[in-house]
Amino acid sequence: MAPGEDATRPASPVADREEEPDSEATAGLLLGAAAVAVAAAVLSPVLWLLLRAAETGIAEAWALATSATALQVLVNSVVLVAVVTVASVVIGLALAVLTVQTDLPFARLWTVAAALPLVVPSYIGAFAYASAFGPQGELADLLAPLGLQVPTIYGLPGTALVLTLFVYPYVFLTTRASLLSFDATQLEAARTLNHGYRSAFRRVVLPQIAPGVAAGALLVALYTLSDFGTPAIMGYDAFTRVIFVELGTFGRGRATVLALELLGVTALVLALESRVGPEESTGHGSAASTDAAIKLGVLRWPAMLLPALVATLTLVLPVAILGVWLFRSGPAYAGGGIAFEWAYGLNSVTVSLLAAAATVLLALPVAYYAGRSDSVAAELAERSTYVGYAMPGVVLGLALVFFGTRYAQELYQTIPLLVFAYVVRFLPQAVGTTRSSVLGVDVDLVGAARVLGEGPGGAFRRVTLPLIAPGLAAGGMLVFLTTMKELPATLILHPTGFTTLVTYIWRVQEAGYYGRAALPALVLVAVSGLSMVLLLRVEGTDE
Amino acid sequence: MSFADFRGSGPFVEERPVLSGDRIADLPDLEGELEVYLGGGESGLYRDLIALLEDVYPEFNALIRGFGAAEAANTILTEGESTPADVFWSVDAGSVGAVADEGLTGTLPAEVVDPVPDEFHPNDEWVGTAGRARAVPYNTDVLSAAEVPDSVMAFPETAELSDAMGWAPTYGAFQAFVTAMRVLEGRDRTETWLRGMVDAGVSEYNDEFLVSNAVAEGEIAAGFANHYYALRVKAARPEAPLELAFTGGDAGALVNVAAAAPLASSDDGDLARTFIHHLLTVEAQEFFATRTYAYPMLPGVPPVGGLPPVDELNPPALDLAELSEVQPTLDLLRETDVL
Repeated sequence: MAPGEDATRPASPVADREEEPDSEATAGLLLGAAAVAVAAAVLSPVLWLLLRAAETGIAEAWALATSATALQVLVNSVVLVAVVTVASVVIGLALAVLTVQTDLPFARLWTVAAALPLVVPSYIGAFAYASAFGPQGELADLLAPLGLQVPTIYGLPGTALVLTLFVYPYVFLTTRASLLSFDATQLEAARTLNHGYRSAFRRVVLPQIAPGVAAGALLVALYTLSDFGTPAIMGYDAFTRVIFVELGTFGRGRATVLALELLGVTALVLALESRVGPEESTGHGSAASTDAAIKLGVLRWPAMLLPALVATLTLVLPVAILGVWLFRSGPAYAGGGIAFEWAYGLNSVTVSLLAAAATVLLALPVAYYAGRSDSVAAELAERSTYVGYAMPGVVLGLALVFFGTRYAQELYQTIPLLVFAYVVRFLPQAVGTTRSSVLGVDVDLVGAARVLGEGPGGAFRRVTLPLIAPGLAAGGMLVFLTTMKELPATLILHPTGFTTLVTYIWRVQEAGYYGRAALPALVLVAVSGLSMVLLLRVEGTDE
Repeated sequence: MSFADFRGSGPFVEERPVLSGDRIADLPDLEGELEVYLGGGESGLYRDLIALLEDVYPEFNALIRGFGAAEAANTILTEGESTPADVFWSVDAGSVGAVADEGLTGTLPAEVVDPVPDEFHPNDEWVGTAGRARAVPYNTDVLSAAEVPDSVMAFPETAELSDAMGWAPTYGAFQAFVTAMRVLEGRDRTETWLRGMVDAGVSEYNDEFLVSNAVAEGEIAAGFANHYYALRVKAARPEAPLELAFTGGDAGALVNVAAAAPLASSDDGDLARTFIHHLLTVEAQEFFATRTYAYPMLPGVPPVGGLPPVDELNPPALDLAELSEVQPTLDLLRETDVL
């Protein structure tokens, strides 16, 4: 989210340059209009929620929203978000500093291992944990002969643990990007001035990587709000689980009111983050140093314990459980219609690539506008792209069913509408990375291009675009791998007969064929893992 | 296509009696394109059956969308009259009932619904296609049939069952059973029953296959489980000392069904109705009975494993749609430390 974010240069607002005011103003206007249009499009599903809630009746909706149950759910969700966000920041920050700034052995390997948990769908992670730590789980079976009791992990501890383990990489990735673009000579300077590392970290490093950490924490907080699978499997009454229960009893009105309340919390988180996250400004640092800034000394090898422990919990354990499923027999009857086809993998990749491309394309005007303009409209457009990210997939899916069947019959149950759903869900991932790289572009370079006779479009194409390409690519890949694992919206909006890896996993898992879910789940993790390695490569190119 | 293509294989097939009911050959042909929304579970098998029908009728083509039962219902409820679906077929009758309550379903002719007992088609808007009965698997080396109480409410006080029972409280079907008890007996009596079972030292399992298996192993004397899990154990080990008992007219005898409904907005209602009629042929019912060990809905097609046919079961009088009220059940299970 934050490659190239640093604050060494003051802002140079676009308005400073006066030449060719007409084309400049037109370009700016077009950009602003495009950004606002994108924001309006991704906010449109909220309209459906309001319509539905209105059907419930204002008085009833209000009574429901302020009922003891709803308030309890509100408290539960806020507690969960706080715990997961804080824990993710602690783990993500520690791992990022260890892998970027120290002489940790096998730092490259640990970097990949620390980022990979993001490719594991949280419902698979939660299943693996429920299966491992359940009262009759795999671990209990394994450890029982040794007389060991496995602690069960349901409720808040289980939900928070599983969510933290599979979403902390957002913080890790954004913090890592900030650290990579951080000028390590400053840290050395601070240390020569007799600051210990801790003091130097607090006074020099932390202020500069704070926007990156905050950006990651925001993604963690919003993902936690929107995740269905984990609270459902772990039995914790967060918003999503209660919404799910209401939908299960066909209480769509009640589900809608709760969904709106959830979006209210989202707005609060967004407002909070924009106050915590310090103002970034444009500029460029000197080439980032990748020399280890910190020598770990005798702790060098023991320090590997932390990434090793995290990798064990996030990668080894779920993959081992999938392995157990692979070899466990399913129900004794012969089921069919569920033979795995490689085409499902191809479908997943195709639709995820489309989603990534569309998202990057739409993220560009929003991110560029937000990065270049201080206006309220720019900030609002950028912030509003985050709303869809916190909207549970089922709620979004049903909103688009409503939209599709009423206003766009030709688009209903087609790839374009499905891709639009992904754009709504994952736009902020691309907006975040792109905006950070827009901030990193030295505006004087763009000015130079203009002086040399390029129009605003030409300057953008020839100067800005190449410079922000890594940010765009990183955003695209994040969208790609989150689309690969998205389940609820896919299930509701896919074209009939279009099976993807996740819809297939869902289908066999529903039928009790855990063994058959293992192979596609491993394929999913492998393909997404590959894109994660690519992502880390792209981010590493400025080394 | 022959009858054998519909029938499954395994130890239960050899003992099948003569079956009666409508046969595919008696019905009008399926012809044209039909969009089916499939709600939940066993969709693999439902897809198989539909594929078999497509083989029987080369002119018939089914477009299938799979969802969770509730998602499918919510999607249809949101689509309203614009739904592209012609038929809604779901493992959970409650989800079909919810769609019917909104007036989105058409009606089925008497010749389709009449052979099915009334409990499994409260009206002519939808019809049960296959059932799953709550049952008590018991170990025949430890208990006789007479020692298993007729009333589920008597289980906590039955001395023979003390420290010898098993259940799977995290499993959806068990929660539906407790929901039924809540609806039929009230919350207080259900709470007393749950606490009584815990005091009687009931053992907890992860799912009901494990409960049934533990009964066969003699680990416990009896348990609560859907009927087909015991049949799966017996299919693998025909000599296992395992039989099924059914309680009478109470939550313990709950029968939940998969159900199908034609949708009112379908532009080919005849095809939709004929399709659902095909799900109630001897061939399709035998398919469910021998492949998933489900409870057939036709009295002329008994379930496998020597169980009584559907019209001899004694399920409680209960609107199956009420089973979707799971939340208060979960609260109760947590309060009593069962979950």
